[in-house]
Amino acid sequence: MSSANLAQAPAPIVHIQQLRKSYGSNEVLKGIDLQVQPGEVIAIIGKSGSGKSTLLRCINGLEVFQSGSLSVDGQPLLHSSATAMRELRQRVGMIFQNFNLFPHLSVGKNVMLAPGLVKKTDPTAGAARARQLLERVGLGEKFEAFPDQLSGGQQQRVAIARALAMEPSVLLCDEITSALDPELVGEVLRVVESLADEGMTLLMVTHEMGFARKVSDRVIFMHQGRVHEMGTPAALFGHPQTPELQQFLSSIH
Amino acid sequence: MRIELDFIAVLLQWPLLAKGVLWTLGLTAISATIGLVLGTLCAWARSSGPLWLRWVVGAYVEIIRNTPFIVQLFFVFFGLPAAGVKLTPETASVIAMVINLGAYAAEIVRAGIDATPRGQFEAAASLALSRVQTFFHVVLPPALQKVWPALTSQIIIVMLGSAVCGQISTEELSYAANLIQSRNFRAFEAFIIATGIYLLLSIGVRALLNWAGPRYLFGGRRG
Amino acid sequence: MVDFSLWDIFRNLLLAARWTVGLSLMAFVGGGLVGLALLVARTARWPGAERLTAGYVQLFQGTPLLMQLFLAYFGLALFGVDTSAWTAAAVALTLYTSAFLVEIWRGCVAAVPKGQWEAAQSLALNFGEQLRYVVLPQATRIAIAPTVGFLVQVVKGTALASVIGFVELTKAGTMITNATSQPFLVYSCVALLYFALCFPVSLYARSLERKMNVQR
Repeated sequence: MSSANLAQAPAPIVHIQQLRKSYGSNEVLKGIDLQVQPGEVIAIIGKSGSGKSTLLRCINGLEVFQSGSLSVDGQPLLHSSATAMRELRQRVGMIFQNFNLFPHLSVGKNVMLAPGLVKKTDPTAGAARARQLLERVGLGEKFEAFPDQLSGGQQQRVAIARALAMEPSVLLCDEITSALDPELVGEVLRVVESLADEGMTLLMVTHEMGFARKVSDRVIFMHQGRVHEMGTPAALFGHPQTPELQQFLSSIH
Repeated sequence: MRIELDFIAVLLQWPLLAKGVLWTLGLTAISATIGLVLGTLCAWARSSGPLWLRWVVGAYVEIIRNTPFIVQLFFVFFGLPAAGVKLTPETASVIAMVINLGAYAAEIVRAGIDATPRGQFEAAASLALSRVQTFFHVVLPPALQKVWPALTSQIIIVMLGSAVCGQISTEELSYAANLIQSRNFRAFEAFIIATGIYLLLSIGVRALLNWAGPRYLFGGRRG
Repeated sequence: MVDFSLWDIFRNLLLAARWTVGLSLMAFVGGGLVGLALLVARTARWPGAERLTAGYVQLFQGTPLLMQLFLAYFGLALFGVDTSAWTAAAVALTLYTSAFLVEIWRGCVAAVPKGQWEAAQSLALNFGEQLRYVVLPQATRIAIAPTVGFLVQVVKGTALASVIGFVELTKAGTMITNATSQPFLVYSCVALLYFALCFPVSLYARSLERKMNVQR
């Protein structure tokens, strides 16, 4: 971006400044600075223990940070206010590694539950929207099925539909294919790619380097709680600057 | 030595027995419903309530679980009037049964709630559900399903325990048996028949609860 | 009406509580022995033992203890046995306890992995030896916590013996209430004494269970 454009650049949808987080005496995030533009797709990569998932979970408040600032859509994170947190989570959705579908509800009800309770959507409209979203992820005919009747890939796609039902501005994906059998990974990644194409702001912690390279606008390599390298996929994967990133990239091939 | 048993004399009194059965079932139904609600509220209080409330509920649960039901019943029926609260035998019986079941249900439901995987809480939070919404829609149904056998057993235990309520003249089944034997002196026969009826009731109520729970409380799915 | 002090009430209740303790221990020990015999019969797969034990357990778990006491009281009298409330209560509670204990212990034996039986058999141990040296020691470890926990149920069960006239803690409470017309006070004391008997046992059972879970 040239400096001439900066004045007209849209405000970042996620703005993180000097974020620090510790578990007891162990500091896992050591001052993260990050600005995410609306519609950006960001892949976060790194070794386990580098703080990737923790950073993601700070953004929707599942983890509490000790210092620094984090705001979404201009609103700073207020952990102490339950109302503010629920407001935030209507704008930021999350997909989990282990899907976390509600086992006692059908697929359709899983998708409809939150809009019905939080946005007070009436059941008919909710059901229609749920069907639409399930169609979108390729599972239109599974409305009445229960989670334990679906494969891992199908469950994850339901989880995506469930998160989309709340019409979030940002979607956080926490290693969403890591728990899937290899042959099921593709169907999930295709859905995520289509979301990226439609302009959804995505932050993904992922091990799928090929996918990250193809779909993301920016890649962040985290190492020991810091943003170690950041840049376009071509730059990061093609010309890794630091030995840590070089080592990481060679270890996963 | 010949033992003469006369079951007919007792069976002729079947209207009294029937009335007793209806009372027993009625007492159990009302107490089970209210007791379950009370137990669920207590379980919620113990997992998510303020510290002082957890302590109060904990004390309530321990006192009930470590004293006999008959003493709790006598306390409610004989003891409370001395403190100004006068109760009919039936009301006292229901109150005692509710308080009793509530304490056991609190522990049982709490175990179910504690077994909720953390991911469920995180998913619900990420979908902007409030704590109350999360409890009733995400946590409670699978928890009830998990502990339903234990809850059913406890309801049966309370139903069998209600036999004691006959001692304060509640006209349930054991009272009926006692009344019959006081009239025709067929004590053994009367109690054998009443015991047999109780056995049938416990089998029947268990089957009923196993049918009703999935249907009305938590959906028929393996959670 | 003679004025009774709190201490008078309490002292009388304490004296009656001895009988509660005595009856509880007797039922627990007696029930344990009967239960053990049934357990061995069932585990050894003696013909009909499994069915019989299942029916026995169903009978005692599916009927009120109060009815069992009445049946013992009137039933024994029917057979010409000179029945006091004490005898009837002891018999009924012993059988009641044996049914619940055999069910608890059955679960504990079933919890011992099948491989243990197979290993013992492969070492040419006979059934008695398999049971005594390999399976029962492991089952016993699992069984201690729930068995101790059941003692609390037995103590609470003795309260029903008051209905057939046995003078234990609850009956004493009723009698003292009739004499003093202070039901609130008297039954509070009765509850307190039961609590003092049962709560420590409950806590102990729970600590045993925690220890066991840690070991596993």
